[in-house]
Amino acid sequence: MKFWPAWERRKDELHEELEAHLRIAVGERMARGESREEARAAAMRELGNSALVADVTRSKWGWQWLERIAQDVRYALRGILRRPAFALIVIVTLAVGIGANTAIFSAVYAVLLKPLPFPHGERMTVLGESSGQAEGISVTWLNFDHWRKENHSFEGMAGYESDDLTLTGRGQAVLTHAAMVTSEFFPLTGVRPVMGRLLTASDSEPQAPETVVVTQAFWKRALGADPQIVGKTLILNGTAHIVVGVLAREPGFFLRGVDYYLPYRPSPKQLSMRDSHGSLRALALLRTGVTLGAARADINTIMERLAKADPGPEDDHRVHAEFVTEERTGDVQHVFRLLMGAVALVLALVCANIGSLLLIRMTERAREMAIRSAIGAGRGRIARQLLTETLLITLIGGTCGVALAAAGLQVMKALGPKHIPRLMEASLDVPVLLFTAGLTVAVGLVCALAPVLGARRANLSLVLKEGSAGAGSGRIGHVFRGGLVAAEVAVALVLLFTSGLLLRSLVAAENVDPGFQPDHLLAMELQLPDGRYKTDASVLDFYARLEAALKAQPGITSAGAVSCPPAGGDCGDYWYSIVERPAPRREDVPLSLFNIADANYFQTAEMRVIAGRGITEQDKAGGPAVAVINETMAHTWWKDARSALGQHIKWGGPYNDGAVMEIVGVVGDVPQFGLDGEHVSAVYSPAGQRVSSAMVVMMRTSGDSTAMAASVRRVVAAMDSNVPVQSLKTTEEWLGASLAQRRFITLLLALFAGIAVILAAIGCYGVLNAWVTSRRQEIAIRMAMGAGTMAILRRMGRQAAVLGAIGLAVGLAASWGAARWVESLVFGVSVHDLVVLGIAAAGALLIVVLAAAVPLWRATQVDPMETLHEV
Amino acid sequence: MVKTEKYQNRIELLQGTLDMLILEALRWGSMHGYGIAQGIRFKSDEVLQVETGSLYPALHRLERQGWVKSKWGVTESNQRAKFYEITKKGKEQLVAEQERWQRMVQAIGAVMGAARTAE
Repeated sequence: MKFWPAWERRKDELHEELEAHLRIAVGERMARGESREEARAAAMRELGNSALVADVTRSKWGWQWLERIAQDVRYALRGILRRPAFALIVIVTLAVGIGANTAIFSAVYAVLLKPLPFPHGERMTVLGESSGQAEGISVTWLNFDHWRKENHSFEGMAGYESDDLTLTGRGQAVLTHAAMVTSEFFPLTGVRPVMGRLLTASDSEPQAPETVVVTQAFWKRALGADPQIVGKTLILNGTAHIVVGVLAREPGFFLRGVDYYLPYRPSPKQLSMRDSHGSLRALALLRTGVTLGAARADINTIMERLAKADPGPEDDHRVHAEFVTEERTGDVQHVFRLLMGAVALVLALVCANIGSLLLIRMTERAREMAIRSAIGAGRGRIARQLLTETLLITLIGGTCGVALAAAGLQVMKALGPKHIPRLMEASLDVPVLLFTAGLTVAVGLVCALAPVLGARRANLSLVLKEGSAGAGSGRIGHVFRGGLVAAEVAVALVLLFTSGLLLRSLVAAENVDPGFQPDHLLAMELQLPDGRYKTDASVLDFYARLEAALKAQPGITSAGAVSCPPAGGDCGDYWYSIVERPAPRREDVPLSLFNIADANYFQTAEMRVIAGRGITEQDKAGGPAVAVINETMAHTWWKDARSALGQHIKWGGPYNDGAVMEIVGVVGDVPQFGLDGEHVSAVYSPAGQRVSSAMVVMMRTSGDSTAMAASVRRVVAAMDSNVPVQSLKTTEEWLGASLAQRRFITLLLALFAGIAVILAAIGCYGVLNAWVTSRRQEIAIRMAMGAGTMAILRRMGRQAAVLGAIGLAVGLAASWGAARWVESLVFGVSVHDLVVLGIAAAGALLIVVLAAAVPLWRATQVDPMETLHEV
Repeated sequence: MVKTEKYQNRIELLQGTLDMLILEALRWGSMHGYGIAQGIRFKSDEVLQVETGSLYPALHRLERQGWVKSKWGVTESNQRAKFYEITKKGKEQLVAEQERWQRMVQAIGAVMGAARTAE
């Protein structure tokens, strides 16, 4: 086999050189009168052993170690090819184990480990405020301004907020994503302009002209990569903004793509009141050597000082600070740790299987090894040979694993929940490949340990004398392999149990009663451009006309609007209090989600009105302020829903401004945070009394709702082509998306559990099979002595039963403990669900039974005469 | 065997001495391996007979060290052979080796001379 052509050429050349030497010598001798035969014989004698000469010469090239490795690899390949089935099993097993680990690690690396794309990402923090009720709420402008100027803990601090604005004047109106930032944002994230300039502090001055810096992607996509763009204007929400620059690189701080940056401009109210909240947060770079705790204390000192200097209702507010990395990945960290743990267990099974396979193989090869050492191969040489063989097969398996991971990653990205930050960036990049390479070598070394240690133990004379196939398998080997069987059963049981729990949770979540009728329900997100719809009346008029026009479409039976649809998440919450109840202490004021619904929403969504009435057309701006609350809120305060009617809600609680509203109805809960989310208190205000230009219009369709999408878009465009449709999808899609993460992790865990079961079954089968093989003589003798089939089965089956029982016991105990690990992901079932545990145990038992069946059957088929004659 | 009968006439070469002899042989022009061996043999009146098993490893070692370089050529009798040529670095090495050799001969001579006088 030719590994290195250059090396081979050089070898050929050396051979030629020695040939030439011989020819010249022969020629000279013949010139002196010797006959050709004599000359040739003498010259060859003089030259000596030409192969040896060549060998010694080659050693001077200094490449001999390479040649030796090549030889080892050659032997190893020959060894592998001699048993293709064995090699295939090992390679496939490895590919699965290493592939799964690589794929999951690449996701973990992208989401959790990869440095953020801006300088000092590891020291970057996000700051907000915390009250007794809520952590991480927005920071008010005045507080931010004090923090920014007076802190001693941060190298820089920038305020940021994001919003959706409508771009008009360039064809069809489009909804665009804006980030409002203070000028410190750019140096903090290390961004430079490719054209024009960045935003400066003067852009935030109230009298300064409105300016905008666009990202390169947006400039290319929406502005036609206009090289003269600087100085031109963009109409955003009806206001002209002058483009002053194009960014060279989008810093990627905002998880959702940002189209352009606007200078943050605090409103007059924000500038005068220290408790005027918007959605401002601060991005701050922690100084080196300062801990997050010290930084918090630093900012809190400022807050205490402010509470004295400028007292207000929020004097108890403190800073909430988190590292950006934590803030981003807090809730998915656990999921990925779980997945990493699961694949690590799968890999452990892979190692166990291959180790035991190699060990069995070693027992078969004991004779070969004994002969090798009998003819003088040193132990080191044999060990090196075995190591090379194992490493080679591991490397092949690892390479296949990388290919498998590449495919798996594509599937994972296609199925994975879109909201997991940076999951889409996962790729087989250098750190991931290094991880895989390290893992592969480690697996190779661990697996090679078994046969190498086995080879050390082989007793030469014993093996050669015994001669049977089972020779060389000592007691320790049996204990070791028995342990492997028990461990494999236990690991498979744990994975079966945890994935079973998640599977049941998923089924439970999917079958949650959503509190409304999600099928045949289309949801369209709209955002009216502020510039065109300045008055409340114009907004209300638009939605009223739109609903009428939609209802007129054939196939749409009703239409109603809500500001925050089911599974829409947290669209905003606020303090409240019940007027008829004693005023709570400042730190005990409760929070509720707020929502806005119009007269047709409850009926269109088919939500249950439990008590009182829904919202009607009569709930207008001039009329009495009313509210509809959800069941959860009703149960928080009253023993039945009916008692809530006629009572009053004070928005803002006793200590903040807000309207007083009479509760006129109670509606059923809908899953605001997704089907597997908790129900929280919610208040619905009538759209007529609390006007919002951003609404989700729900449409009940009689036929297939997706088929209606085109005509719905046409209706909107016919009414006002400047109103962009943000999204249009079925509510089922909307709801289903809320379970995407749950589905994702359940699917992966179930997959790993499946792999684990297969691996465990193969592993157990291999060990038990080898065990029966090694005892064929014993069985034959017993049979010859008159033992029946049942006696043999009992005797041989006992070991499988004992190993299986140990595995089950360990697995059950481990499952009980592992349940805590998945606790946060379990929904609708107990973490120690006995049904799941029972099914998992039955599954594990089945593995043992299936794996033992064939070897046991083989044990009963032993032919005593034939077997005894083999000796 | 052939080897034993001729043994008395030959001198085992000291380690490193063969390198010097090869370089010296190449000082007058490029030569192939057989020619180098023959040259050393003739010049030493058949006393120094370089074994192929020592010659070629030595040549390849010298080449790796950059003291000689090789290229394929044709002999006077029109045979293809690999010719070795001394490099500039090789010439410097040869001078150094010669000096070392001289010192060694003198030193050994002094020791042996003293020994003879003492007898």
